[in-house]
Amino acid sequence: MGFFNKKENKETIKSSSSVQTNEHNPKNVLTTNLQENIHKIKSLLGKSSDIIFREIRIGKEGSISAGIIYTDGLTDTPSLQNFILETLMIDTKMVEIQRKINPDKNLITILKDYAMTVGEIKEMTDFDLLLTGLLSGDTIILIDGYDQSLMISNKHWVERGVTEPSSQTVVRGPREGFSENVRVNTALIRRKIKDPNLWLESKVIGERTKTNVAVMYINGIANDKIVKEVNLRLDNITIDGILESGNIEELIQDAPFSPFPTVYNSERPDIVAAALLEGRIAILVDGTPFVLVVPALFIQFFQSSEDYYQRADIASLVRLLRFFSFAIALLAPALFVAITTYHQAMLPPALLISLAAQREGAPFPAFFEAVIMEITFEILREAGIRMPRSIGSAMSIVGAFVVGTAAVEAGIISAAMVIVVSITAISSFVSPTYDIAIAVRMLRFGFMAIAASFGLYGITIGLIALILHLCSLRSFGVPYMSPLAPFNISDQKDTFIRLPEWKMFSRPRLINQQNEVRQQNSESAKPEAPKK
Amino acid sequence: MKRCTFVLLILCLLLTGCWDRRELNEISITLAMAIDKVEDEYQLTVQVVVPSEVSMKTGTGRSTVTLFQAKGETVYEALRKMTVDSPRKIYPGHLQMLVLGEELAREGISESLELLSRDWEIRSDFFVAVARGVTAAEILNVSTTLENIPANKMFNTLKTSEGAWSATNGISLNELITDLVSDGKEAVLTGIFITGDQEIGSSKQNAESITPAARIQYDHLAIFKKDKLVGWLTESESRGYNGITDSVKTTVGPISCPNGGKATIEVIKFKTNVKGKINNGNPEVDIEIKVNGNVGEVQCHIDLTKQESIDELAKIYEDELRKNINQTIETAQKKYKTDIFGFGNAIHRSNPREWKKIKDQWDEKFSDLNVNIKIDVKLQRMGTLDNSFLEKMKD
Repeated sequence: MGFFNKKENKETIKSSSSVQTNEHNPKNVLTTNLQENIHKIKSLLGKSSDIIFREIRIGKEGSISAGIIYTDGLTDTPSLQNFILETLMIDTKMVEIQRKINPDKNLITILKDYAMTVGEIKEMTDFDLLLTGLLSGDTIILIDGYDQSLMISNKHWVERGVTEPSSQTVVRGPREGFSENVRVNTALIRRKIKDPNLWLESKVIGERTKTNVAVMYINGIANDKIVKEVNLRLDNITIDGILESGNIEELIQDAPFSPFPTVYNSERPDIVAAALLEGRIAILVDGTPFVLVVPALFIQFFQSSEDYYQRADIASLVRLLRFFSFAIALLAPALFVAITTYHQAMLPPALLISLAAQREGAPFPAFFEAVIMEITFEILREAGIRMPRSIGSAMSIVGAFVVGTAAVEAGIISAAMVIVVSITAISSFVSPTYDIAIAVRMLRFGFMAIAASFGLYGITIGLIALILHLCSLRSFGVPYMSPLAPFNISDQKDTFIRLPEWKMFSRPRLINQQNEVRQQNSESAKPEAPKK
Repeated sequence: MKRCTFVLLILCLLLTGCWDRRELNEISITLAMAIDKVEDEYQLTVQVVVPSEVSMKTGTGRSTVTLFQAKGETVYEALRKMTVDSPRKIYPGHLQMLVLGEELAREGISESLELLSRDWEIRSDFFVAVARGVTAAEILNVSTTLENIPANKMFNTLKTSEGAWSATNGISLNELITDLVSDGKEAVLTGIFITGDQEIGSSKQNAESITPAARIQYDHLAIFKKDKLVGWLTESESRGYNGITDSVKTTVGPISCPNGGKATIEVIKFKTNVKGKINNGNPEVDIEIKVNGNVGEVQCHIDLTKQESIDELAKIYEDELRKNINQTIETAQKKYKTDIFGFGNAIHRSNPREWKKIKDQWDEKFSDLNVNIKIDVKLQRMGTLDNSFLEKMKD
């Protein structure tokens, strides 16, 4: 149902935007007149001051006029001077020789084939492509008398280097993180997987931003149907701008109204490489270090890359701890409200009396108290993120302490509630991915509300509804709750616990259908017993 | 159709649930309850915790509990009538002690327990005791030390003494009702009484002095016939009763040494098996007791390094235990003619057909019942000494 709605939406977006963007006439090609071409570019770009036009004269005694156009700041100026201007204006010997040998040959072709000492170079006649190249940082060479141009790729701009990712931090594991440049990001993945089957399909999405998007997968491991589906969904996007992978995530996800993410994202090349090896598909978007991975399953959001770098025993225990804290983050305030307002009989007498003592004189019902504290915490958290970093963390700690302690001292909030809310908050930070923590953050309030009106009964109904919802979700055709529902015994090796590496001999079953075996000889790595 | 089902399912969720929402500061947590009979009416007294006084932080030094009292023709009536006095509704979900007045107990307790076993809010795992010499309400009116909530002190004292001394028996409401409805066992309840000055007992000073003027203590067992109290066992009979009904966890038993002087056996394991049988048409009961113990204290001259002397002590303990149990059974058989041990149940279990025939005249049959006792005492350890240092002092 929801899926069809979404498709219809997409189509309407496509049709409306195609009307808007159809600005240039279809016969948009270069003319043979240099001045006309330059004038046309100037008028289209609105005299933008960062576009540099350089007119030079080349050839024997400067008989031919030529134009060089590039975008200042996106082009590598030293290479422009050393390899383009120098070739055209000084080292013209080669050109002259060739022109004498082949007088019929196009000057543009001669320049391209014999003169230019640069890597990527293209002949271009289409005006739109030429503009796109220019604005992406390519250098354009126009020559009077030719309706062709040379487009030289010497892009270079200042960018953030490969730094340690700030999300999904680990104690043990690689420290490098993706950066904003899609090429750097693909290189980081290639450096990890040197397999010819690691394929990369590039797309340009966004009518105006023309954002480079790369789809990466390992051919032969990734499910072809899912690859096709990913390409289909990406090709269906018709939008003016893609600024972050989150834009794409929202446009291609399966369940737009579910609080649970059906697309995984990561800043870490090792996580993406591992996902590719499992048969998943990565979507890299230029301009953001966050790479999308599909299909994303519920369990995946509880797995940290460190699980696989640490010993299996501690990794399993830590993973169980994550599920436990997920439950706390989801249910703790709701359970507290339900038990203290409906099911007092469940508490040991000493605890009941102690809680009752804290509530003496408390002005608000427990539910209201919980909501106040949770909202206070959300405010603190949001403020902590948005504040300038230098005061952010200190302010959030002090804020929490002052608000919490002062509220208790003033008798507005009971101390137990502060404890519950604090535990909840800490638990919600345990999950290794931010996305699942967000889902829990929202659902928590719903659970508190049903706990306040229906007690444990309500919580039970809510949990049943939640599980039904989770089981109904799919991510690119793969059931979201697999390998729990549908249950798969072999995939339990990496679900709640992680078995030792030598036991993990197959890839996840539902993601990968064609190439299951991860390692041969999967028995153990135990040393052989000494022979007597 | 689908929509209709959906709406129905939603209504299922909305039209039910827990309707009894109340905040913790809207309930009076009742830990002890007393029922007396005053002039044909039930007088119900509840001991309610004052939470702010229990808390270390907010306590102002006032009493940690308070009493509310009401009279009514039924217990429930009295319980609800209490709200004319109490600002919060009585919440008996955590009831730990129920004290019944002696007068009520002599008239019959079963009617007064009906509410407590019926009400969904009340758990049935609290202890029941009978006030001896005073009204049940007076028992709740004593402040206590160490445990600053008197109900907790009563509950914990009973639990500790039943485990370590075994002259009392913590009977929960469930067990009491099982005994009341059973044909082959009569009920028994622990007695509770006040020593010292009751006037001061209810005041805060009582708990403030090192030696409280009034204390709540447990007494021996009260024995019932049907639901009426008929008499009290002595201390040693109470211990005998616990021995027969397999309620001894650990205890100590003083014995006389063969050459004069005293010694104490510490019982660490006490297991009783009661088997009923019909012998030539006459009911008979076999009691088999297995005791594991230690030599706990030796105040006499005996050579503990010899196995024979240990065996001798075991033999003496066995004899004393047998005497004690015989005495207890005789009291029940001859004096009160009430089967508090559940021998009837033992016969019922072994021979249901015969039991049906004799159960109507069980009280008479019980009085003449032949009881065979088999006791096996094993003494295992003797602490950190072998021979007592008293031996050396003699030299």
